[in-house]
Amino acid sequence: MRTTSAWLTAGVLLVSGCSDVHLPDVEQAARDFAAGDADARCALLTDAAFQAVQHEEPAGCPVALEDLPLGTGEVESAQVWDSEAQVRLADDTLFLTRTPGGWEVAAAGCRPCGDGRYDCLVEGS
Amino acid sequence: MSGVRRFLSENSLSLGFGLLFVVTLAGQAVAGAAQLSEERQDEGLGPVSLGHYLTSSSFAVDVMENWQSEYLQFSLYVFATVWLVQRGSPASKELEAVGTESDEEQRVGAHARADSPRWAGAGGWRTAVFSRSLGLVFGALFLLTWAATSVAGWAAYNVDQLRSHADPVSWVGYLGRPDFWDRTFQNWQSEMLAVGSMAVFAVYLRQRGSPESKPVGAAHPDTGATG
Repeated sequence: MRTTSAWLTAGVLLVSGCSDVHLPDVEQAARDFAAGDADARCALLTDAAFQAVQHEEPAGCPVALEDLPLGTGEVESAQVWDSEAQVRLADDTLFLTRTPGGWEVAAAGCRPCGDGRYDCLVEGS
Repeated sequence: MSGVRRFLSENSLSLGFGLLFVVTLAGQAVAGAAQLSEERQDEGLGPVSLGHYLTSSSFAVDVMENWQSEYLQFSLYVFATVWLVQRGSPASKELEAVGTESDEEQRVGAHARADSPRWAGAGGWRTAVFSRSLGLVFGALFLLTWAATSVAGWAAYNVDQLRSHADPVSWVGYLGRPDFWDRTFQNWQSEMLAVGSMAVFAVYLRQRGSPESKPVGAAHPDTGATG
């Protein structure tokens, strides 16, 4: 049984791009986002999320994020699957994706809306 | 004929298909990485390297779901052709030979010959295992690759879940999702079609020189003959 579990774990790590390797970077990006001001948060968004925010608020991303109730809490848990990640803050849920520039926030201000899905205040189209 | 040339000639079937396997797997890897890069660029993300793609769940599940169905095909083919026959098909044995046949016909136990594999004449569990070793190995490879498909498919499914801003699911949860069974059945059905087609087509069609075909001049009802 222990051997089976070890093989299963090894298999999952291999096919999920050795997720544990990326966990510290994911958690750091989430902490930076939660602790950052609006400018810092905008800089951590993926291009798609940034463009979506800019589209909604012609005054610019920082102005838009100032008005949104995004989380500022501690990281409670994180999961990484290949180049995608989910981080639960004490008061928010973030979705991150790996880009050539590092881990960036693809969605923030996410609240469960049933069946495991989330409605997010910030997300790319 | 030199030793190397003789080796290549006498093993050309396994070597040829081994080479084709490597070339086609490399082709899949390059094409798959290019496709994933296109998808990511459409989403405003960067391309993926070949190395990244080779360790991704996407590549793993695409490879494993095909391997498992091929091993299922061969394990079923090996086991089923003990009991199921097809009049006129070279893939079938003679109609009256249904079943595991006698020890004499199978050259086991006291009927083993000097050049028979040692476990064929050993008796007991060794002969019992060796007598089923082809089907058992294919069956074990099927189960292993199907399990690998479930793990790789689970990882790939969770990547999609996160991309669409949804919670990842557990492995057991994934086994109950349509995605796993869609991947499974879409591969299985094609293998059943291929085996069934071969069994029937080879009754009426010929391929001169192929052991998968009857001799060109063999009668359609002739069963079990290979040319």
